[in-house]
Amino acid sequence: MTAVAALLAVAGYAASAGGTVAAAGGGIAAAGAVVGAVAVLLRLPSLVPWALAAAASGYVLARTHHARVDGWSPVVGAAILLAAELATWSIDDDRRIREERTLVIRQVVVVAALVLAAAAVGFVLVGAAAISASAGLVATAVGVAAAVSAVALVLRLLR
Amino acid sequence: MTRRASPKLAGYAGLAGFGLLAALAVGRPEIVALTAPFLLALGVGLALSGTPSFTLQLTADERAVEGDEVPARIRVETPSGVDRLDVYLRLPDGLAPAHGDQATGLHLGRGETRDLELTLSATRWGAHRLGPLHVRARDALGLIVAEGVLAETPVVRVYPREDTLRRILRPRDTQLYSGSEVARTKGEGIEFADMRPWTAGDPLRRVNWRASARRAELWVDESHPERNNDVILFVDSFADVRGAAGGTLDLAVRATTALADAYIRRRDRVGLISFGGILRWLEPGMGLVQLYRVVDALLDTHVILSYYWTGIDVIPRRTLPPKALVIALTPLLDDRSVDALLDLRARGHDLCVVDVSPVPFTRRTVDGLDAVAYDIWILRRDALRHRLQRAGVAAVEWRDDVPLQAVLEEVTAFRRHARLARV
Repeated sequence: MTAVAALLAVAGYAASAGGTVAAAGGGIAAAGAVVGAVAVLLRLPSLVPWALAAAASGYVLARTHHARVDGWSPVVGAAILLAAELATWSIDDDRRIREERTLVIRQVVVVAALVLAAAAVGFVLVGAAAISASAGLVATAVGVAAAVSAVALVLRLLR
Repeated sequence: MTRRASPKLAGYAGLAGFGLLAALAVGRPEIVALTAPFLLALGVGLALSGTPSFTLQLTADERAVEGDEVPARIRVETPSGVDRLDVYLRLPDGLAPAHGDQATGLHLGRGETRDLELTLSATRWGAHRLGPLHVRARDALGLIVAEGVLAETPVVRVYPREDTLRRILRPRDTQLYSGSEVARTKGEGIEFADMRPWTAGDPLRRVNWRASARRAELWVDESHPERNNDVILFVDSFADVRGAAGGTLDLAVRATTALADAYIRRRDRVGLISFGGILRWLEPGMGLVQLYRVVDALLDTHVILSYYWTGIDVIPRRTLPPKALVIALTPLLDDRSVDALLDLRARGHDLCVVDVSPVPFTRRTVDGLDAVAYDIWILRRDALRHRLQRAGVAAVEWRDDVPLQAVLEEVTAFRRHARLARV
């Protein structure tokens, strides 16, 4: 439920940006929350990325007409990651398996640390982006290479 | 162990990749901020994941009796540590968990050894192989999953619970070796049989002085010798009718164990024929070792579907010695068994048939054609028993709520009053 709540929070934040486009973005993000709820309830891990993508798309759509970089976007990213982790945990959880208490505590600590670290990294990135709005050709090339590498990794994993 | 990427890894990588492409296309830093957490999770998760190294050992008590509790232990040792290890022990049908968990998730530190204690309840006889033992190891973020199955698992031999028999069936003929059965013939023994006039060669200690004094000539006592028997236990494993609490084969195996124990205690030679899809036999023998052999052979008895027409010709000659008492435990469901029993009787073997009735494990419908068919089936079973009885075989129906001792008494009563039929 916390995962769905995190996605709904993203939807609410997107909708609060104001305007028709923001409302539409909030709606898309809310649809993502619904998809996330279905994924958790029906234990369908393949739906989780679609739910996250919908929430992120809704947020990005809501920010389309804003010229300024949103300073809270790292928090939104961390919230989506939190939703992803909790949804995956919920789907993987099998009540027939008795989990040791230390295992559960360890999992909570790992997820919390990951989300906090993600938020911190996001703030650094947004800060850097704000400083150099126009990065130039080299930075764009590095970005394209990183994106292509990520897609290649995905294709290799899917094979 | 098989290592594979979890769906989470593919999902995160996909989101990160397409997020970065979208950031480049749209040119908004917020998308990078949304993508960065997934890239971080991927980087950290893949950096922390390594090949899990651990050893598993599953041990359990090898022998138990039905109803006993069997302790089992899963030992996990790891030199490098495992972030999350799921262990799942699958149990065969005859064993059920009594205490402890079949599936456990645990975290193991570097160089840690963990023992998972599990108590199993032996619910049904048989040779049950534990497992397979499934293990699944995951890294801290669950991106890489390694799965495997422990191949070497122990076998728990659950011996059938047996009834205590006070009296058992006496054979028509005894064998030559000494035993506990008073033979019908006369010879050297303790049990008084008759008196006769003294003849040359009779030992002096046989003289009955009181009778000799009355008749004015020497008379000697005759006695019945104590001999042993050859008993062949014939288990029909062609068919098994099962209910919630057991089946006909369970009853037959328990009864066979009880009979084998009772006869071997009397120093009789006991053999076994498991007559079914696979024919198994054990030549007659005596002593505790033979009892173990019989019970061990029974544990491997299963119903194996076969259309091959098996007769008693395939049974080795030494397995069916002359004058042996053959006790058959059969649900009388397969024509091959019935024909084999009639064939045994026709060859002059002393045969008793305990019909392990499948009727209590079936249910009659209230009305309709099924009910008529059921009634006809019951009548045909009665007719079949009657056919065996007409052939001189003591055929008695045994239902699961009746003690075996009562059935044996019924067989004894039949044999006492029935005339030997020549077929």
